[in-house]
Amino acid sequence: MHIKQKPNRNLIKLLILFLSITIPWIIAVIIIGEVNEMKLEMDVPAVNYSVDSTAKVDHSKFLSLQQEFNTPHEVTDACLTCHNMTAQDVMKSSHWTWSRDYKMEDGTTIQLGKKNIINNFCIGIATNETRCTSCHIGYGWEDDSFDFTNSSNIDCIVCHDKTGTYEKYPTAAGYPATVEKKFKEKTFYPPDYNLIAQNVGIPGKENCGACHFVGGGGNNVKHGDIASELVAITRDVDVHMAEDGANLNCIDCHKTTNHNISGNLYSIASVDDNRVTCNQCHTDQPHKSRNLNKHVSRIACQTCHIPGFARESSTKMYWDWSTAGRTNEDGSHIVEYDSMGNISYHTQKGTFQWANNVEPEYVWFNGKASHYVLGEQLDTTGPVQINTLHGDYHEKESILVPVKVHRGKQIYDPVNNTMIQALLFGKDSTAFWKGFNWDIAAEIGMERVNLPYSGEYSFISTEMYWPINHMVAPADQSLKCNDCHSRDGRLYNVSGFYLAGRDRSPLLDKVGFLLIIFAIAGVGIHAAIRIIKK
Amino acid sequence: MKKRTYIYRGFERFWHWSQALLIFFLALTGLEIHGSYTIFGFENVIVWHNTAAWALLVLIVFTIFWHFVTGEWKQYIPTTKFLKAQFTYYISGIFKGAPHPTHKTIYNKFNPLQRFVYLGLKLLIIPLMVITGFIYMYYLYPNNPIQLNGLTNLAYLHTFGAFSLLAFVVAHVYLTTTGDKPLTSIKAMITGWEVIDVDSHEERMKHLEDAVNDSAAGYYRISTDGKIVDVNNTWLKLYKCKDRDAILGKHYALTRDSDDQKILEDMIQKALKGAYFSGVPVTRKCMDGSKAHHLLSMNPVKEDDEITGIEGFIIDIDESAPFSEHVDHAIRDSSAGYYRIDDKGMMLDVNEAWLRLYKYDNKDEVIGRHYSISRNPDELLKLENTFNRVMKGEPLLSSHATRLCRDGSTGRHILSANPVYEGNKVVGMEGFILDISNLEV
Repeated sequence: MHIKQKPNRNLIKLLILFLSITIPWIIAVIIIGEVNEMKLEMDVPAVNYSVDSTAKVDHSKFLSLQQEFNTPHEVTDACLTCHNMTAQDVMKSSHWTWSRDYKMEDGTTIQLGKKNIINNFCIGIATNETRCTSCHIGYGWEDDSFDFTNSSNIDCIVCHDKTGTYEKYPTAAGYPATVEKKFKEKTFYPPDYNLIAQNVGIPGKENCGACHFVGGGGNNVKHGDIASELVAITRDVDVHMAEDGANLNCIDCHKTTNHNISGNLYSIASVDDNRVTCNQCHTDQPHKSRNLNKHVSRIACQTCHIPGFARESSTKMYWDWSTAGRTNEDGSHIVEYDSMGNISYHTQKGTFQWANNVEPEYVWFNGKASHYVLGEQLDTTGPVQINTLHGDYHEKESILVPVKVHRGKQIYDPVNNTMIQALLFGKDSTAFWKGFNWDIAAEIGMERVNLPYSGEYSFISTEMYWPINHMVAPADQSLKCNDCHSRDGRLYNVSGFYLAGRDRSPLLDKVGFLLIIFAIAGVGIHAAIRIIKK
Repeated sequence: MKKRTYIYRGFERFWHWSQALLIFFLALTGLEIHGSYTIFGFENVIVWHNTAAWALLVLIVFTIFWHFVTGEWKQYIPTTKFLKAQFTYYISGIFKGAPHPTHKTIYNKFNPLQRFVYLGLKLLIIPLMVITGFIYMYYLYPNNPIQLNGLTNLAYLHTFGAFSLLAFVVAHVYLTTTGDKPLTSIKAMITGWEVIDVDSHEERMKHLEDAVNDSAAGYYRISTDGKIVDVNNTWLKLYKCKDRDAILGKHYALTRDSDDQKILEDMIQKALKGAYFSGVPVTRKCMDGSKAHHLLSMNPVKEDDEITGIEGFIIDIDESAPFSEHVDHAIRDSSAGYYRIDDKGMMLDVNEAWLRLYKYDNKDEVIGRHYSISRNPDELLKLENTFNRVMKGEPLLSSHATRLCRDGSTGRHILSANPVYEGNKVVGMEGFILDISNLEV
């Protein structure tokens, strides 16, 4: 057994041992390095994506569109002579009804939507219709008496105008200007109905954007991720809509059948259906990296791929109504601007805070939302939740989504403990924007919605959640692992689950640390005694 | 007995160092995932940690296999024997220069403390790390039928295991310095060789067993009543016997011709009384009836000082092959004198040493003459007896003799004589003489 081996044979054997240990490591380093290289070169494949841009008809040839139009209703009637089934589809859509079925906690179903919901921007449309319904796809919704069954009231051309000349007048209940007229700095002209009617087509970004870019009364006020710059933007801001990107139109993703446009905005929507999802085109396994694909089941694409919203124009983050009504000594409106040129105070509206390049907040969301319904008792333990996105880490359907949280302070009735729908816009001084009297505005507003007003009002903090879905950034700008997998990362406030790199048990860490320190100290002392005793 | 011994085999060392590297690397990457520092970047560190985890799993699978195939798993069977002594040694004895309470051998590589700790690693900590790690890697909460209520507890267990392993590594590395010299143990784990105490009895038993099994000599054992109790494979081959069971339990008489029985019987009777024989040339009767020659050794088998049988080896003598040149040279150049005599007593061959001892100048002066020229008349009778006995096939191992040299002087030597066979027939006698003239008797 005891064979003395020649030294050089021993050396070769040691070399073999050394190589058999190190070669697997070298191979692993090379392979993983190559895989990482491959990932960098990836393009973004899309599935099921097609755009039909072929014009089917030339509307300028239709005689009915060459007639003289006196009112926009006549244009609609002309459209419907051919599209004789379309009015029914349009009138079913929430673009028309501004309401949908909503299940209350007690199980009853009510109609809830833009028409009667409370928000923390301009509060609500009741009593303020003439202003608000400038974004309704109809003509003449001035008050409750609007006829939702009259197809002549549909405004076809606001969505289908391809001339870019059609505009509704801001305070005309959805009508365009009838004479040349100024609103603030902007001049509105009566539309050339023949030109427009003969140049209709599939809605483009400008059509949708006419309302959706300017929700809340100005560019990017409400959404934060949908703004007028998306009409002509670079990939840096939105890879999908950019002309140097996929150059998509809104309806390329918001697929539409019979005027039912897919997509929900959970500031008003409440049910998990008819949604637009990224995997329509990108599949459920969109990454080359398996580790990234594992995230798909719990993390919305938007969470990583929209590192920030309002990346071009500012969005409104805070609106304090309680400061509204201050005027200059001469009674004229005070208007103050922040460093970005955004209004930071306005007599009619109060104090605003704007932000650019905003890091979203993140919530678990299962596709269902509930809303504060006018008249409901308030939970005043925290800020009033204007809408609540439902979801929980422990729920299979819930994924982590980015949201813009719009915070505000708005009028409520501390005696009845309800929010107040106030009259803001009107022709006389009962409207707050004319008379700056909250009491009167509240009284008239609440009367209109058939709810009691105690005569006392105050202001309460509110929060409203806007899921962020647009302004998807190029892949190299998407979040890096460390943005969340770190002690003070973006998910710092999303607690209740273990996130590697963020979470640890401080006790366990302390115990483990001490264990190692004791081991080292023990070993050190032992060694010291051995050396001394030697 | 201390002896430089090959104690860690190639795979064992490959496994040990690969595992050490992997555990170190997993700790390094794991602590980054834990959020303790940033070296690789999170995306890379996940890939590395997972890859290393897979590598470790593969290594562990191979190692489990190795442990069972080699029987090395038995090294980890825990024992409390000397456990306290080992403790006492580490907390006091070691400082006083006391000897290690246990000794490393190939069959008992670990001290009782090591057995407990390594077994704990293998059965508790490493499985804990592997199981929690792989669940962590592939468990997508809550999209699985098994509800673990999130990864918190898994992650904590995994972290705990990591700290335990780190503490183990600290102690483990330090304790390698408690060998003969600080680096003795680490060197052994690199080269495989270490000077360790060898349990000479244990080792001898193991090697003797192998030696007997694999010997080129045939081995046999016979009980007191003459039954063959055991033979090895070579024995079976020499006796042209295909089936061991066919021979076991049979009487030894089966192995000899009837006229040869008496000699064998005598030898066995003597051996059963304690005598030893070595190198006796005999003729065996193979199972197919053919005959062949071999050298036989025989010794008593003792159990508790009582002779319970005899055993010995047989080495085949192949007469069909002529003396090889090598053997020829060996005889010619031997310092011992060599002689060969035919069946009529005539000298056939002698070597140079024989000639020198007998003071002849030339072979030709001797060859063809009767052996009686080599003795004084008073010694001749003794030589005649020897010759006659050898011609009957009985070898003479050593006997003192006084030679008559050519010049009439005498010298003393030791003589060996054995029969020269041709087929089954003794055709002469040959042997060696060693000069002892200068020795006092």
